[in-house]
Amino acid sequence: MSFTDQPSGTGMPPTIATETVMAPVAPDASPSERKQARRENWRLIRKRPAFILGCAIVFVWVVCAILGNRITPHHPLDFRGPINVSPSWDYLFGTDKTGRDVLSRVMAGARDVLKIAPLAAIIGVVCGVIVGMFMGYLGGVLDLVASRIVESFLALPTVLIGLLAITTLGNSSWVVIGVIATLFTPIVARTVRSAVLAERDLDYVTSAKLRGEGKLFIMFREILPNVTGPIIVELTVRIGYAVFTVATLSFLGAGPPPPSPDWGAQVSDNYNSIVAGFWWTTFFPALAIASLVIAANLIADSVQSVVEAS
Amino acid sequence: MRRFILQRLASIVVTLWLLATIVFLLVNVLPGDVGRQILGPFAPQVEVDAFNTRLGTDKPLLEQYFQSIKRIFTLDFGDSYQSGTSVLDIILPALGRSGKLALLAFVITIPISIAAGIYAARRQDKFADRVVVNAGLASSSIPEFVTAALLLSVFAVHWKLGKAFANPPAGTSLFGQLEYLLLPALAMVFAYFGYIARMTRAGVISALMSDYTRTATMKGLSSNQVMRRHILRNALAPTITVISVQIGYLIGGIIGVEKVFNYAGLGSTMLSAVGAKDIPVLQGAVLLVGIVYMFSTLLADLLIAYLNPRVRLEVTR
Repeated sequence: MSFTDQPSGTGMPPTIATETVMAPVAPDASPSERKQARRENWRLIRKRPAFILGCAIVFVWVVCAILGNRITPHHPLDFRGPINVSPSWDYLFGTDKTGRDVLSRVMAGARDVLKIAPLAAIIGVVCGVIVGMFMGYLGGVLDLVASRIVESFLALPTVLIGLLAITTLGNSSWVVIGVIATLFTPIVARTVRSAVLAERDLDYVTSAKLRGEGKLFIMFREILPNVTGPIIVELTVRIGYAVFTVATLSFLGAGPPPPSPDWGAQVSDNYNSIVAGFWWTTFFPALAIASLVIAANLIADSVQSVVEAS
Repeated sequence: MRRFILQRLASIVVTLWLLATIVFLLVNVLPGDVGRQILGPFAPQVEVDAFNTRLGTDKPLLEQYFQSIKRIFTLDFGDSYQSGTSVLDIILPALGRSGKLALLAFVITIPISIAAGIYAARRQDKFADRVVVNAGLASSSIPEFVTAALLLSVFAVHWKLGKAFANPPAGTSLFGQLEYLLLPALAMVFAYFGYIARMTRAGVISALMSDYTRTATMKGLSSNQVMRRHILRNALAPTITVISVQIGYLIGGIIGVEKVFNYAGLGSTMLSAVGAKDIPVLQGAVLLVGIVYMFSTLLADLLIAYLNPRVRLEVTR
């Protein structure tokens, strides 16, 4: 597949040796050196088999999500097929209790989770970066109070809060996005805060202060570009968790309503008929969830190990 | 040591207060008539008013707020909208049943994953290590309900092993209950194996490279003695922290597993509360899980301080 976009210049075979020669970047390296280090990191990440595999799986699901009905063998909502057929050549994943094709539903079901999970993760990371930046750079009482609040947020179980929120606020994907983003914010903020603490006494910050730059400028134009590493890692990790949480919440009833082919909703619809022998209506959507979560984690893990090694 | 415990207890009080505040805000963001929401649009106004008076939801918000703060410290979460019985009487037995399932899962997971972590660390970067690390990553990243559904279709249906319904009939012996709880517990073992094994592996690897390990080896201790007396004591600290942090997540994940196996634990109680819009039960469950989580992290900190004299000295100073 061509989406790995290997530049023609780096046609090197993926040797293990290149992974260990990363020169650590000195904290006071010049901007161009840091840029080069980032480019080097990206080159290393792209070469990892785990990253390529993860991207391949995500790519397949993104194609399914975008094209939806146009590439499914049957219409995902078409209930005119035979009922409860086990997997065969006509129906590769079988059909469900209302005669819908499971393969088509699994393909079309990628859409909901791929819309909700990344959006929730991105909102959570953006808010977390802002909060963490203020906590780390301004410090003082604000940092003390915010740290306490962050700590108590960590005691909140995401899935339980999600259930409480859909009960009080109503069942919609915006509530799910809001809950996930809100609960991710303090976790991201904590990571960003410690990254900022390591930066704020470096020379470039001091000289920016002496130049008379404003606090906001220093935080978001001077420090932010230098803490992108941990932020990117956090984003990839958070997307994995978001997929996990969205799937779980939709299985528990916070997902789109019944005719929707959403994976979690499909498992929730059909798990009771496993015992009657109709395993395929649950097995394949469950496998789809597993593949997407594992893919997200493979990507996150590759990014993390390269960024943290540098 | 005593000062350390007191400090931690004080921070728990602050965190509990914040937790109660967050939950209160979440429940009250919608300016709404609770009685109207529960009883529906067709209930007579008199009944709605009576309902609100009985629950105290007609009082000013500030008063309700103080009430809810008081509740988390007195463990009195009010009455269920649905049945009118005390929330604690509903949640505690359910939490007990979930606890039984979680305990079984932990009893299986902890020895297996710590052993796997040590095994992987001793063969760092070899094939066996890669297998443990990647299998751990894969198994712990899959949502518990997915693992549960997959296990159910493979074991209970294809191989006829284990039970598809986890509720044992009344009067089943403790040993007999194990058979019912085995598959759901196994689903959770998959989820937690990865975190604990990876954390143990990382701890052991960094301890293996330390000076004290080299000294112990050069002193002539056998590698088993080095492992037991020197490495594990140091390496297990992060593992214990991870285990304690997992307890909070464990309760979140257990809801899905309970639903798949139709087990009458905290998860099923919460799901039926969601269906009935029974907010006090949900609120009580979230707060109780928060309390359990905080005390389990406290316990973990104490255990680490007990295992490692260096930590003990640091906290008392």
